[in-house]
Amino acid sequence: MASRYAFSIDLDRCIGCQACVVACRTGNEVASGDAYITVSEEIRRKDNGFWGSFAHKRCFHCTEAPCVEVCPTGTLTKVNGLTAVDMAKCSACGYCTQACPFHIPHVVDNHVSKCVGCLDQVQAGEEPWCARTCPSNAIRFGEREVILAEAKAKVAKLRERYPNAQVYGETQLGGLGLLMVLLEAPGVYGLPEAPQSSATIQTWKTLVKPASAGLTALAAGVMGLAFVFARRQHAKEHAEVHTAAPVEAAVVETPAQTEENHD
Amino acid sequence: MPRPSVTRRNFLKGTLTSLGALASPAMSGLNAAARRLTRHLPWYKQPATITYNYCDICPWRCGIIVSSVEGRVVKIDGNPNDPKSRGRLCARGQAGVSYMYDPDRLKQPLIRTGERGEGKFRTATWEEALDYTAEKLLAIKDKYGPESVAFLGHTSGDFWFTDYFAQAWGSPNASKPSMSLCTSPREEAATLTIGRAIGNHEPVDWDQARCVVLLGTHIGEDARNTMMQDLANARENGAKLIVIDPRYSSVAMKADVWLQIKPGTDTALLLAWMNVLITENLIDSDFIARWTVGFDELAAHVADKTPEWAAAITEIPADQIRATARMFGEARPASVIVPGRHVVWYGNDTQRMRAVYMVTALVGGHGRPGGQFFNKTPFLEAYPHPPFQVAGSSGGCGAAPGEESDTLSPGPTGKVRADGVRERFLRGATAMQELIEPMITGVPYPIKGLVTYGSNLLHTIPNVPRTIEALKALDFVLTIDILPQDHVAWSDVVFPEATYLERHDELWGCGHKTPYVTMREPAVPPLYDTKPGWWMARELGLRVGLDSYFAWQTAEEYIDRRLSSLGLNLTKLHEQGGVMVQKGKPYLTDFEADGTSPFGTASGKVELYSEALAAAGHAPLPDYEPTPDGPAGFFRLLYGRSPVHTFSRTQNTPALNQLMAENAVWVNDATAAELGFADGERVWLENQDGVRSGPVPVKATPRIRKDCVYMVHGFGHNTPDMKLAHGKGASDAMLQTRYALDPISGGAGMRVNFVKLVKGS
Ligand code: SF4
Ligand code: SF4
Ligand code: SF4
Ligand code: SF4
Repeated sequence: MASRYAFSIDLDRCIGCQACVVACRTGNEVASGDAYITVSEEIRRKDNGFWGSFAHKRCFHCTEAPCVEVCPTGTLTKVNGLTAVDMAKCSACGYCTQACPFHIPHVVDNHVSKCVGCLDQVQAGEEPWCARTCPSNAIRFGEREVILAEAKAKVAKLRERYPNAQVYGETQLGGLGLLMVLLEAPGVYGLPEAPQSSATIQTWKTLVKPASAGLTALAAGVMGLAFVFARRQHAKEHAEVHTAAPVEAAVVETPAQTEENHD
Repeated sequence: MPRPSVTRRNFLKGTLTSLGALASPAMSGLNAAARRLTRHLPWYKQPATITYNYCDICPWRCGIIVSSVEGRVVKIDGNPNDPKSRGRLCARGQAGVSYMYDPDRLKQPLIRTGERGEGKFRTATWEEALDYTAEKLLAIKDKYGPESVAFLGHTSGDFWFTDYFAQAWGSPNASKPSMSLCTSPREEAATLTIGRAIGNHEPVDWDQARCVVLLGTHIGEDARNTMMQDLANARENGAKLIVIDPRYSSVAMKADVWLQIKPGTDTALLLAWMNVLITENLIDSDFIARWTVGFDELAAHVADKTPEWAAAITEIPADQIRATARMFGEARPASVIVPGRHVVWYGNDTQRMRAVYMVTALVGGHGRPGGQFFNKTPFLEAYPHPPFQVAGSSGGCGAAPGEESDTLSPGPTGKVRADGVRERFLRGATAMQELIEPMITGVPYPIKGLVTYGSNLLHTIPNVPRTIEALKALDFVLTIDILPQDHVAWSDVVFPEATYLERHDELWGCGHKTPYVTMREPAVPPLYDTKPGWWMARELGLRVGLDSYFAWQTAEEYIDRRLSSLGLNLTKLHEQGGVMVQKGKPYLTDFEADGTSPFGTASGKVELYSEALAAAGHAPLPDYEPTPDGPAGFFRLLYGRSPVHTFSRTQNTPALNQLMAENAVWVNDATAAELGFADGERVWLENQDGVRSGPVPVKATPRIRKDCVYMVHGFGHNTPDMKLAHGKGASDAMLQTRYALDPISGGAGMRVNFVKLVKGS
């Protein structure tokens, strides 16, 4: 195994077919109605025509992962750059859903639900299901250094057509384990320029998490309070992200709902 | 409050184990999460059985590897040895497991009890259903002749009924929607112009292309796996992409230039491109001199078809027409217009498709690296059956290309095809929609029996009221299908089929740059009381006196006999990874080397000017013919694909339904605002003949022109037996009460229908 793995998603290549979504669901036996990936479209008016791209919502495998920091049960851990999930340990507390700056994890059927990085596949020397099937070969997986260099080379190529093209995730949160080759500034995709582990989470790390290991009544009480606080903080950050002015062009369409992505 | 996790897990485990004990195969399909906990181990950590197959969720037929654990299909992956899938699959192919375990599948043979169309059936044994069917078919044969039974089939198992059985039985009235309702104009134009069929795999030399044009082709929405792979790679390699579409489609996002053309004016654009290529000398003169006939006539024909002339028609600015023609010409000969698949648009489609091949010919793209290469059919001997009673003319993906168009083969009682070929249209495969009228009128002779295989008649053939009238008039209807689709209710007998994952099947030999043969073997035995198509065809054949054609006992025996011509059998083919790839002959240089011509026309060249068409009274050079606009207040109805659905087949597949449960109608946002329709508001669509479908949400978007609306095909299922799909979305097929018959290919142009939006859900 490599020391530090990463994915990249090349949004210039992605054509929005959602093969990755279904391959992931089948390969990982994801519960009916649930999914680890959502693909949507982003369309803007530009000059006399349009600018368009697909967008992916899935775990970024942050190096300094807020979800891991708050997880009281050891369900979420970092393994070779990936944010691994040990479903058996999950208590469905939902703290990770509050901590994640990208609003990725959710709780379904009393378990956390998010990309598991296909750790089993990777450990068996295989590529993750999504990367393996993507017809556009838009999803790459490998040593982070290699993947990052490849993504940067792609961006250099894209700049002529897309002057704001960039790699998202090189440094954020200690460097994301999923890099996105964006055709526009992150805001156009609804991504925060500087995703942050909030102050709440810092408190959490030092105070709540050690205490919660013993699951004492006191710790449980503290957690309850911290949870409410975290929620508020989260709502505030959410609002900030979403009121930030979109880059350049005006939004003409909101990202489609999953069901209506490709109608 | 978080519960100590260990308690909850034990609790769940207990519950699910007992559930698991009761689970039927269908139930377990719904319980992925439950299985995850019951079995302790994910499927991929258990011993899996591997079988080889080709995907049947769409007609593209990607080679797949199917993994099964303990008698359950668990995962489908692309077969890396397969030239189509190259180890990857689209969303639909990945969802094959969900398609197979759809709990709404047809499970037992059925015999009608109520009125036809009421959908009232009783279950029957195979013995009874087969005997009854045989009796009915023989009665029709005795009274009217075998030609009076029509065979309409689609999907990859259609071979056994629409080809093998129909030809053995002696009916020339066998047809597939993949022809006259899809590709016939493309095939006939290719045969007339370059003397070759296009076939299943469009021969676009993506690897080396430097300029690719998509004319009404929506790669990405139309999710043919290899096309998506090729497109992404070609763009990465620097190929320019020109997309022509009234709508800003997924692939338009990827285009270097997107031309928002007025629907129905494509031929004007193509003629203007030819004008620019010729006047600016962006042509390949050597290729034209050596390999074409009629260049001077063509040059004269397009002399006045200037970009300015076309701009007024297509509503694309003249400078853009000129710029794109130059982009195409400058990349010559590595320039190609993708032939596309569903090309039955306005009724003059063969002429437009001729123009498509002519543009590629002017830049010398035929048989040149980066242009349109030459497909080769793989070598594979036919099974040595006795001579058939009639030659096949159903065409379709699996048929031998090119040969069927010209001769009309009479059936045993002397009757040729009833679809009006030679009278109402010139040539091509049997036109499905033209077989409906004889069922009602008995002209030119009665069609009294109908065998449908995997073809959803009511979501496929335009003019649904007429199809229903025909279904009422028939003496006997046999339906073979996987799901209780809308047309199943109109059957007398229903044979439930096993899916592609549960059966052997005819080999798939694909014409390709690297021709290849691949196999289908069952991953698990058939669920319920379903049977493979080959078995049904054989059992029925034995009951109607076709014993000599069914001398083989099993599909394996039949297949092994065919494979012996390659020194193979099923076991060996399995051992070598399911696919046998052969050598192709893709380029002009391959033919120049042995002094032959790749162009199977009378002249052995690309026929820019077509003597054959002139002799038959058709225009020898393509003209722009305006298609009439709709009534005031109506919009032209355009339709297309979603990457997560195939036709009307997958709306009920849980994994795909989850991604798209209904369609929406795209309306220009300014137009929607003027008419007072809000984005997301549910509306009915009503066509020019007062037929309604819906309700569907409005997708108000600037991405579509003001004169048309757009929807994804295949929704609006009526039957309550398909529980997820029932009542969801609108059916474009219902709204296509009219079509324009292509006088050359017999294709049914369906973009001649208009709808208005009506308030109310
Ligand atoms: S499979 Fe690939 S092309 Fe399709 S949506 Fe996923 S990333 Fe995009
Ligand atoms: S994206 Fe969210 S869920 Fe994924 S590692 Fe980062 S914080 Fe955790
Ligand atoms: S890495 Fe695995 S779990 Fe994560 S999205 Fe891809 S397929 Fe799903
Ligand atoms: S393109 Fe998709 S649905 Fe069609 S055959 Fe290939 S994998 Fe199956």
